[in-house]
Amino acid sequence: MTGTIVFWVIIGILIFIVLYLITAYNSLIGLRNLVKNSWSQIDVQLKRRHDLIPNLVETAKGYMGHERNTFESVTKARAEATAARGVPQVAQAESRLSEAISRFMVIVENYPELKANQNFLAVQEELASTENRIAFARQAYNDAVLFLNNKIEMFPSSIIAGMFIFRKEVFFEIEDTTERTVPKVSFN
Amino acid sequence: MFLQIAAANKRKTVLLVLIMGIVLALLGFFVGELVNLWTGFTSAPQQAENTFKAGYIGFCVALAIWLGLLLTSMLGSDQLFLSLSGAKEVTHDLYPQLYNIIEEMKIASSLPRMPDIYIIDDPAPNAFAVGKSPEDSSICVTAGLLAICSRDELQGVVAHEMGHITNRDVLFMTVAATMLGAVTLIADSFLHSLRYAPIARYRSSSSKPGKGLINVWLIVLGFFLVIFSPILSRILYFTISRSREYLADATSARLTRYPEGLACALEKIMLSPEKLTTALKATAPFYITNPYKQDLEDSLFATHPPLGQRIKILRLMSTGAAFKDYVKAYWAVTHTHKELIAASDMKLGERITIRDPSPPTLQSPPGSRVTAGKAGDIIRAMNQFVFIPCECGMKMKIPPEFARGEIRCPRCNRPHTVKEADQQTMSAILATTSAFSKPAQPQDPLKAKTDALIKGYQEETRIPGTWQSFTCNSCGRIVQVSPAFKLPQFNCTHCGHLFKV
Repeated sequence: MTGTIVFWVIIGILIFIVLYLITAYNSLIGLRNLVKNSWSQIDVQLKRRHDLIPNLVETAKGYMGHERNTFESVTKARAEATAARGVPQVAQAESRLSEAISRFMVIVENYPELKANQNFLAVQEELASTENRIAFARQAYNDAVLFLNNKIEMFPSSIIAGMFIFRKEVFFEIEDTTERTVPKVSFN
Repeated sequence: MFLQIAAANKRKTVLLVLIMGIVLALLGFFVGELVNLWTGFTSAPQQAENTFKAGYIGFCVALAIWLGLLLTSMLGSDQLFLSLSGAKEVTHDLYPQLYNIIEEMKIASSLPRMPDIYIIDDPAPNAFAVGKSPEDSSICVTAGLLAICSRDELQGVVAHEMGHITNRDVLFMTVAATMLGAVTLIADSFLHSLRYAPIARYRSSSSKPGKGLINVWLIVLGFFLVIFSPILSRILYFTISRSREYLADATSARLTRYPEGLACALEKIMLSPEKLTTALKATAPFYITNPYKQDLEDSLFATHPPLGQRIKILRLMSTGAAFKDYVKAYWAVTHTHKELIAASDMKLGERITIRDPSPPTLQSPPGSRVTAGKAGDIIRAMNQFVFIPCECGMKMKIPPEFARGEIRCPRCNRPHTVKEADQQTMSAILATTSAFSKPAQPQDPLKAKTDALIKGYQEETRIPGTWQSFTCNSCGRIVQVSPAFKLPQFNCTHCGHLFKV
């Protein structure tokens, strides 16, 4: 009698362990896919920004024809960004593109008719949204990496992570710290 | 996968829902027994053995009632609810900014599918989310909210609703609401049927000694439950609702990295005199602020925490936008150490810095007179009105029924042709308003700064009795002023720029 009880208890515990292993493994796989997805989302949004820039330039050209240098620098930065391959090159080209766009936007401030133009307003909203999306995609990527890394480190899921060789992922760092500082304005 | 953060918090909600379930089960059991004593459903010998058969039947009936309610509310489609609220679906073409903001938040929360977007024809500012799972959800905002909120504020509100979706609050609140419904239904119908109960029968059947004592206990406990279980479940229900609101606020701050956005939006909602007319009572917990009972804000029976408190908590988050920062602020505001968000969720080794506000070019200028018209324009645009700006500053709004052809401006009599209505985007409509009503001024940032310096100060009007935020003309940052502050002038906390009020 007690023998059979012990037998069933052991069977129960084994089933529980197997179920746990399966769910833990699945959630690790799910997290790894999430990290991959979030990474590709960043690419999607960068691509979206590249597609918007010709639009922006076209709309603005009619109003600020003599700002040739600005247009050229934006188009050049875009061409470089689309051509860049490899993570460090892409990151560098994209941050140069961001810089070119923000410089462009500062110059736009001098053209009130352009700022009231409907098409330009629409493109500006899309561009601003894309910038936000890139930032949020990075944020989501970092969140996903945080969860995955936590799961890999923490007991007991760390055992499964060790068994099936799950590697920790790297966070997306802000590429340029000077980007975040506010430019100084002097009145002299 | 944002779900993971709230996993431990979910357990707490599950526990509260379980307690509600136990209350429901006990109520069913005792009501079954009481009904049995009154009517003599089981025969006398069975009663003598105290088999509690009637109690189990009552328990099963209570369960069946709850499951029936749950099934009907789960099967009742969101579409139905949305159409009852008078919501209309919008696309990217009609309102690009709202669509973009929702897509941004979708990316930030790693939601598997883009929620459907709806706008309600209502000048009262509010928003809500529906959808039982993150795969199938909708976000709905009122035209009034779109009219008064800047981009950052709208983002905060949308992120709050996104928090409801990712935390599966709609599911929790549906389960809790149906339990509350079942408890109320059983207790009420029992009390009503007492009028017709043949009490004499009970007396005749309780002839055996010993059994009487148990029956007395049954009656005492039973009546206690019948009277207090509806109140208890209601308190539980509203506790769940409020804790989910706090969590959604914390989620919003974490997603946007900008708690000030939601705080400003809530402040504007609080100050708005409009009240929502299309809200259904059962769905009150899904709105960003309670569309009902503003006077009951601080009681046990409120679906939402008091607005002022929510705003204060968000504004106190100075160290970062992570969950632990929210909880710290919550503790400071309420002077308690309640476990608002489960400890294991806060242990995540995350340091989240608050971002800067969006550039002012994207912020629509607030101001009550402009916005009342704007809310109307949004509604008209949704109903396929055509907008024709006239050179005299008049903006004609032509309804879709109007025969195409020529129309004369009612003010200056200039002729205009009414073209076939092509869907206009909101940015275009708002642009036509601003292009003619206010001549665009060259806004040189340097000039604006020097102007402010020459002038020396900035004049603002204050609304008494509330928190308010002003944008500093000198450094562009936001300065908050508490209702307790009564002096006619103050300085910007960042750059010392002088404000006069």
